[in-house]
Amino acid sequence: MLFQIAWRNVLRARRRTVITLALSTISTAFFIFYVAMMDGSYAKIFKDSVEIYPGYVQITHSGYRDDPGYEHLIFDAKNVEKAIRETPGIALFAERFEGFALYASDENSIGGMFAGIDPEKEKSLSRVYKAMKEGAYLEPGDTDKLLIGADFAKRLGVKVGDKVSIITNATDYSFAADNLTVKGIFQTHLHDFDASAAFVTKSYFDRVMLSQNMATHIIVLPADTRESAAIAQALREKLAGTDYEVQDWHQYMSEIIEAMEFDRYNGIIMMWLFLIIILFVIMIYALLTIFSRTKEIGIMRAIGTTPLQIFYILMLETLILGVISVAIGGVIGGWLSYYFELHPIHMESFEEAYRQYGIVEAVLPTDFSWGVVLKGTGTMLVLNLLCALYPILRVNRFKPVDAIRHI
Amino acid sequence: MTFLHLHGIEKIYGKEKGIKTTALHTIDMDIEKGEFIVISGPSGSGKSTLLNIIGGLDAPTSGEVILDDINLTELSEHELSKERLNNIGFVFQAYNLIPVLTARENIEYIMTLQGWDKAKREARVHEVAKELGIDDLLDKRPDQLSGGQQQRVAVARAVASKPGLILADEPTANLDSKNAEDLMELMKELNEKEEVTIIFSSHDPMVIGKAKRSIVLKDGRILENRLNGH
Repeated sequence: MLFQIAWRNVLRARRRTVITLALSTISTAFFIFYVAMMDGSYAKIFKDSVEIYPGYVQITHSGYRDDPGYEHLIFDAKNVEKAIRETPGIALFAERFEGFALYASDENSIGGMFAGIDPEKEKSLSRVYKAMKEGAYLEPGDTDKLLIGADFAKRLGVKVGDKVSIITNATDYSFAADNLTVKGIFQTHLHDFDASAAFVTKSYFDRVMLSQNMATHIIVLPADTRESAAIAQALREKLAGTDYEVQDWHQYMSEIIEAMEFDRYNGIIMMWLFLIIILFVIMIYALLTIFSRTKEIGIMRAIGTTPLQIFYILMLETLILGVISVAIGGVIGGWLSYYFELHPIHMESFEEAYRQYGIVEAVLPTDFSWGVVLKGTGTMLVLNLLCALYPILRVNRFKPVDAIRHI
Repeated sequence: MTFLHLHGIEKIYGKEKGIKTTALHTIDMDIEKGEFIVISGPSGSGKSTLLNIIGGLDAPTSGEVILDDINLTELSEHELSKERLNNIGFVFQAYNLIPVLTARENIEYIMTLQGWDKAKREARVHEVAKELGIDDLLDKRPDQLSGGQQQRVAVARAVASKPGLILADEPTANLDSKNAEDLMELMKELNEKEEVTIIFSSHDPMVIGKAKRSIVLKDGRILENRLNGH
């Protein structure tokens, strides 16, 4: 019965209903979109950071991270690869050998990373291939060809086709040196990486560095990247009893995750500020609409409606409008989140600022999830009810005789 | 047996602020079931205050209101609401219909709260609407009705649930003389037909003349309490 009265009030007071619905619908949609955008930008930062080079799962010697020397290499890469092949859920894997070399050009001498990679597999494991700026990417048969970061090339003063000499230690600590030709220059926009990384083919690297069947890392790409932790655990079990450790990106990129978590707190604070603003807007509107009905409520009280029934009727009205508006707002916010996940927003003018945060492409995708939609709609529904609570309690405290005289 | 007993009713406004205005001075009154009474007097004499106290819309500063053996002054807000719902009908000077409801829904409202089933409610609405000549206005909202029509709907709302007491505060004040007279005739008929006790306030001599008993207030005191000759 009280529901019928509340429903009738909602249907009849069209202007009030439309404004309340619009306010709550827009707030819900905006809130969901904001959270999806926040989640999307963090997800993109992590994805970029992981996919540019480090990869989702790494296998290394257990001492390598603390002391990345030749004592802590994977010395039987083929055996480890056999274990990887036996583990389900893995799309691809490749050996990497990362060393250090002194690079010399006609103009300059600089130290930097000297790494051997499998060019074909790396097309899927990292974004170096997609980040080619000049020249060509490495071919599997290349011998003395160098792929170098744009900032590194700039510091050395070399262009595509120029010669670069390298001096380094082979894995047996013998002297290793060669003259290489710059075949290609890449630019990922990660400044440190672009300023210090250079690659040759692993087959050539092994000849120069005497590193056959050796690697500093084996990079594993899970078929479903969201399952990185599970894949890492499966490999850990497979390699139990060996000297090797398996980490997923959450572990070896914990610093960036912590930094992002800190940044995320700022985002959450912003979100709460936004929620408080919404709360005030809805509360002020609820206050105005409910107080504008003081006389009507006074009449209802005078003819026998109890304060509790008035409370139920007004809360039911709020609930009806709340449910309808968060449902519509949820659909709109969810749809916007989904659409912009598929068609990310391009932010060319913020490109430089974004790169500082590790976002390589100047696009801002949203991250659609039913969880965000449900949390957003639930939060907004609770906010709607909370906002109505104070005005309802307040208006219910009027004596009927005073409320009736209210204009 | 006394249906409504008022004992030592006093109403003082502004007591808590230190500027006391006494609206009612020690009012004592007994009213029998089925009476048709007018409370008259000039503006500010305390008519509305007295009706509000009788109806439990306002509390007296001191004194007792006993309606059908229930002491209204001892009831909680919730109990007062229930008492108003079940035993008292109100007709206000400004009609005070619920604006978002149609005439039918306004008339039904109290019966709905009382839990009448739909069929009984509809039958009663038609019966009362026919008596008051508003059966063709039932689907209109208050803003689509004239003042006289709204007041008839308000009377219908007050009597539909068959309360023992109807209080009407200057019910004809906003009506022209024809509508005022018609309304008083209707209320008189209802009083006789439905055996409902009606107390209304007015300072219109024509309206006052329709009542069976007249209580005259002045400065918050009963100046006169007499039966009208009909």
